[in-house]
This record gives sequence, C-alpha cells and structure tokens, in this order.
Amino acid sequence: MPLGFLALVLHMHLPYVRHPENEHFLEERWFYEAVTETYLPLLQIFERLVNDNVPFRLTISLSPTLISMFTDPLLQQRYGNHLEKIIELADKEVGRTYNSPFHKTALMYQHRFRQARYLFNDVYQKQIIQGFKKYHDLGYLEIITCPATHGYLPLMMVQPETVRAQIATAVDVHRQYLGTLPLGIWLSECGYAQGIDDLLKEFKLRFFFTDTHGVLFASRRPRFGVFAPIYCPSGVAAFGRDVESSKQVWSAREGYPGDYDYREFYRDIGFDLDYDYIKPYIHPDGIRINTGIKYYRITGTTNHKEPYVFEWADNKAAVHAGNFMFNRQLQAAHLKKLMERPPLIVAPYDAELFGHWWFEGPLWLEYLIRKIHFDQDTLELITPSDYLTRFPCNQVAQPCASSWGNKGYHETWLNQANDWMYRHLHYAAAQMVELANSHPDAQGLLRRALNQAGRELVLAQSSDWAFMMSTRTTVNYALSRTKSHLSNVLKLIAQIKENHIDEGWLSSLESKNNIFPRLNYSWYQSHYRPDFS
Amino acid sequence: MTVFFPWLFGFLIIFLFMLAFLMFKKHKVIFNLRSSTPKASLIKSDLPLSMEEYASDLTAPSPVMPQPQKPGEELPGKYNIDRLVLMARDPYWLYAYWEISAAIQEEFKTNYGPFAWGQSQPVLRVYDVTGTNFEKQSPLEYTDIPISDQVDDWYIQVGQPDRSFCIEVGRKFQNGHFVTLLRSNVVSTPRASLSEQVDEEWMWIEDLYRTIRHQYGVSSPLIEEEIAGRMGIVPLGISSPGF
Repeated sequence: MPLGFLALVLHMHLPYVRHPENEHFLEERWFYEAVTETYLPLLQIFERLVNDNVPFRLTISLSPTLISMFTDPLLQQRYGNHLEKIIELADKEVGRTYNSPFHKTALMYQHRFRQARYLFNDVYQKQIIQGFKKYHDLGYLEIITCPATHGYLPLMMVQPETVRAQIATAVDVHRQYLGTLPLGIWLSECGYAQGIDDLLKEFKLRFFFTDTHGVLFASRRPRFGVFAPIYCPSGVAAFGRDVESSKQVWSAREGYPGDYDYREFYRDIGFDLDYDYIKPYIHPDGIRINTGIKYYRITGTTNHKEPYVFEWADNKAAVHAGNFMFNRQLQAAHLKKLMERPPLIVAPYDAELFGHWWFEGPLWLEYLIRKIHFDQDTLELITPSDYLTRFPCNQVAQPCASSWGNKGYHETWLNQANDWMYRHLHYAAAQMVELANSHPDAQGLLRRALNQAGRELVLAQSSDWAFMMSTRTTVNYALSRTKSHLSNVLKLIAQIKENHIDEGWLSSLESKNNIFPRLNYSWYQSHYRPDFS
Repeated sequence: MTVFFPWLFGFLIIFLFMLAFLMFKKHKVIFNLRSSTPKASLIKSDLPLSMEEYASDLTAPSPVMPQPQKPGEELPGKYNIDRLVLMARDPYWLYAYWEISAAIQEEFKTNYGPFAWGQSQPVLRVYDVTGTNFEKQSPLEYTDIPISDQVDDWYIQVGQPDRSFCIEVGRKFQNGHFVTLLRSNVVSTPRASLSEQVDEEWMWIEDLYRTIRHQYGVSSPLIEEEIAGRMGIVPLGISSPGF
C-alpha cells in the first residue's frame, strides 16, 4: 500500500462551435486549435507511455459537446483542411526562418503538425474519440461524462427536469461512443447544489467532484478534510479538489506555466508577421488570428521576448514534474500521519490548459506519470472508482453548494452581466417540461419539433455563454448564441402549441444545430426515470 | 528643509487623491449592492482582482480578436405569467426576478380601489424560513426592502450563510398594510465555513464494489497485472472491445 493516492483529473470541454453556414467561423478554430495542441498531444503521450510499459491511471471527463464535435463529419473534414493549411504555413516558415534563431522551432512546428495529420488521418481515421476509447478500454483512462452542454446545474435546479435531461443526454452520448455507462460525472465548473446528487443517482453515477470547500464545508465536518471523499446522503460520492496541487499548476504567477523558459502564448506569427505574407492563413476578411506558430519564450515580465528553445522548456517540464511529485510525496507523508488510511489528493485541471495555454503541459504530464512509476513508491495514481472500490466505506455528509469559479459559489454565472438570461432560460425550460408532459407519445413532425426544442434548450443552457459574458471575452458571440437558441426554443414551443409546425424551418434547424441526434424529448417529462436494464 | 517641504506637500496631495479614490470606490460598491437597475456597474467588481487560480478562466481557449458583430434575435420582454423566482448566489446574497401580469394588477385594483396601485409602495419582503414550514408557521420574522415599479429583479443581501429564505413581492400602503402579490420558492444559502457538527456517520456501499468490478473487469489491486497482461496483444490504432 502506498502512503497516498493521487487522482489526476483532466476535464475536456469546449462549447459546441459548429457553423455550417460559414467555413471561416472564428469560433470553430477553438476546436481546431485544441485538437492540435491538446487532444492529439495527449493521445500521443498515452501511446508513448503504453509503448514503454508505464502503467498509469488518469481520469478524463469528456464533455458531450466535445464528443459531438469529435464525431461530426463536417468538423472532421474542416479540421482536415485546417491541418493542411497550417502545414503549408509551417513548411513556408521552415524556409523563411532558415539561418535564424527561430529555425529549430519552425522545424518543431512542422514536425508536430505533420504528426497531428498522421494521427488524425491515418491512425484514428478522423475519429479522435476512438483514441480516447482505446485507452479507456485498456484500463489506463477512466473516462467520465459531464452535463450535456456543460449546463451550470445549480442555477437550473428551478426545473430539476432539465437537469435530468442534461444528464440523460450526457449518459446516452457517453454510452453511444464509449460503449459503457459512465461511472462518474464532472459537474460543469464543479457547480453543485443540494439535490443534484439525487439526479445523478438515478443514472447510476457514483461520484462527482467539488471544489475544496464543497467537501470541507459539508453539513458534518469531514474527518479527513478533502483527502477522502464523502458520501452524500444519496450514496453518491463527492471528491473535493486539493488546493495545493491546483495552485502549482493553475496559478498564472506562482504556477509552473509562467516559467520564463516556457513558450509565450501571446506572440503568434498571425499577429507578428507581415500582412501580405500571413494573409492566406488568417481570416479571409483580414482579421489577424492565432495560427498556433509562436517563436518566443516567456523570457520575463516585460514585453521583451527571446527566442524559444525547446530543450530548455523540455528540461523545465521535467524539473516541474519532479517538483510537483516531490510536493505531493511530502503532502502524502504528512497527511498519512493524521489519517487512518492513505490520503487521496484530487488534482483536477481543464485539459485545454495543457498544450493550448501551457504548451509544455502535456510533456509535464508525461514526465510526471513516468516519474511516479519509476522513481518512487510513496504515491500511486488512482481514479475515483478505483478508490471507492478499495475504500467503499466513507463518511456521510451533505456537501456544500459551491463551484470552482471566482469566489467559489455561483457568482460567475449569476451577476449583472448575465442575470437577464435566467428568466428566459427558466421560462423556456418550464415550457419544455410542460409540453413534454402534455405529449406523452408524440410522433412524426411533432416529435421532431419537440426533440429539436430540447436541443435548442440544452444549447442555450451552456455555462460557457454566461461565463463569456462575465469575463467579457467574445461577448457578442455568447449573446448571439444564447439569444438565437432561446428564440428557436420559444418559436418551436409556439408552433407546437398552435399546432402549426413550419417543417422547412425545422429541417434547417435540425441540420444547423444538429447536436445530439438521439436526444429524446421524453427525457424532459416529469416522471421520466432512466431504465438501464 | 526647503527641499523637504515641497516633497511633503506633494505626498500629501497624492495621499488625499488616493483617499478620495478609495471613498469613491467604497461608495460605488454600496450603491451597487443595494440597487439592481444600473446593470453595468457591478461587473467591474466581479472581475478577478488577482492573477492566481481562476480555473474556469482557462476553460475555453478563446483567441483575443475582434468579433464580427452578428444580429442577435431579441427576446420577449415579458411572458405574461406570474412568477417570482429566487436563487441563492452565495452565502450572503440572493437574486430574485419576477413578472407580475396585468391580471394581478387588475385584481389588486378591484380589491383595493382604482388608485390603490399608485398609492402603495412596491416592496420585497424577505422571510428567514430556516427550519420552519412556511405555510403553517406564521407570522415569521421578515425584512422589507422598498423597491421601485421599474425594476423586475433584485440582488438581496441577506448576509447569512446556511439559512433558508423565501420572499414575497407585494404592495405596502402608507398605514403599513402589506398585500402579497407573489411568493417565491424557498432557497438556502451555502455554508461559508466548517460545520460545527462533528459527530460522524459512515456509509458502506458494498454494491459499489461489485458494480465497478463487473464493469471494469479489473479490481484495483489487480490493475497493474491486468494492464501488463493486455499490453502485448492490443494492436495500435484499433480499439479493443470493451470487456
């Protein structure tokens, strides 16, 4: 038995950004960039670890919107085009930078993009989800789900039926693409409020995560703090986030990602190079965008930046992995003295931090996993379900309503920038439940309209929109998405009530907002309970 | 000395400026907390003040770039329903929004006279209903917040973690008589500290053990052997069947 357990959790999510109406939609690039910089590099490190016989256990939550984008033929095709374009640019860059201090880095990008193309086209045949499924089936990953469109559940509890529909959709998508029922769930933004666990239990979901105070401030003082899960009275386990390990990675100032040797995110050739040269690789309207090719290291706190040196960054990633492990070992050894069982350190991160923001993040993770395996036996990697298998007896307490957002509660998703949404969201949700109840067995066009109303509602419920409004990033996009999905739901509801469904328009919605083709409006019925027999 | 005094004077001016600035800020916050209408003003205080650890800041890799403005469909201002919805934002604050239909206003006028609406003051009545049954147990203690006819939402500072609240929107006459128009749902503010309750209850979930073993085909102590055993046989690039 090790002295302590470490549960690394990567939460993978992007909002549904698919815009068939325009091939050059800027927001679709969020997805392309994350695939190239985060998702494919993670699959590469899993492959390397497996090839080198390094066992590991990692928890990954794959959001249903992300799975839907992974598996969407249009986005797959567009990502393929995107890769070709970026490879073309990388090839040019290799020539342009010849005999300059940037040449090696240009070669690195060329190699990386080509590798991405090889993985995407040849290894996974455009089905990235198969990569994750493979390591899940092999027992390296424990893939869990998260609410369908990353709905912020605590503020949806006014209509618990819509929380249930978010979960039902998530479980269905998970089962469709991963072939198993998820054992746990990542609650969007760690947003928890009393009652949510009862809904999770209906879907046989065994555990979820909260921020530190979600467990620490539970109704009964948890004997082991956040270093062991607690059971809600419903029997669903809540795992609390460890502050120390979060800070080391997250904090922009004291955390690893700010190291001067690491790659600078904000110096991209999309902005730095001559307009005429870069024009074919930015937005056709001339809007400069990130290309993903960045030649500088963080260097220091000023605007002065020095060329990136991969070897230095690679070395730092190894040093930081060692430091992280060393700190967890100390932490575990210290905690073990205070507890009757090995402490569990839960370290969750947004996956997109790794590779996209923190370019060297995937490398760090790989070094960490290798070091844990080869260099020590104090710590052992574990997943929540492994832990519950070993320790099925846990303390019972009601977790505290909380989130991992600013100030720890619901304010990021409920403030003067976004509070106007809720009267519309709740109204649409109540109407959706009412219609689902009053049409127990809809068929044909009516059924299609009800299902599409459900899709538009879940799309409007994405926590991402409220978040963007709060942080004032891409606000117009967030406003436009919220309003358009809400007005689609309202219009569908009106047409259903008036028994006058515009089939042409409905078909256009079905093809434009085509997420969750299996979504069943009956999941919104008040008496709906899942049946997994 | 002659050099010192102008310096001192300069510092004094700077100090006074800072003081004025701080007072202004403080004033602004109080203003924000109390009023619900000036929508844009609270946003500033919502933004993270330091650089550290805002996990969700990094959720979506959003490139900083100019956005093409798109026309967004406008949503209805009213739905013609009566509702008062209460949400707990954090241990200290609640948020409520409401809609009062014309039918309620008419009913009020029928009962209290045609000018009663104008002669009464709109009020939010906040009840602490912790541990009580609101329907059966009255009167309860409450706080009244005078509001205006122009608002339809409000941030309520209750300042009390781990308590339950219910609110009413109503009209208050000059003689103090209060008429309830709408009543909200009950919400509880989250805890903001460790629980005082230290007695422990434990639960053993045997079923969990079985299920996980069944689903995974590996019980954890065996996991390393399992993985090692499978490693050689799985071809790369092809996903293996579930179990």
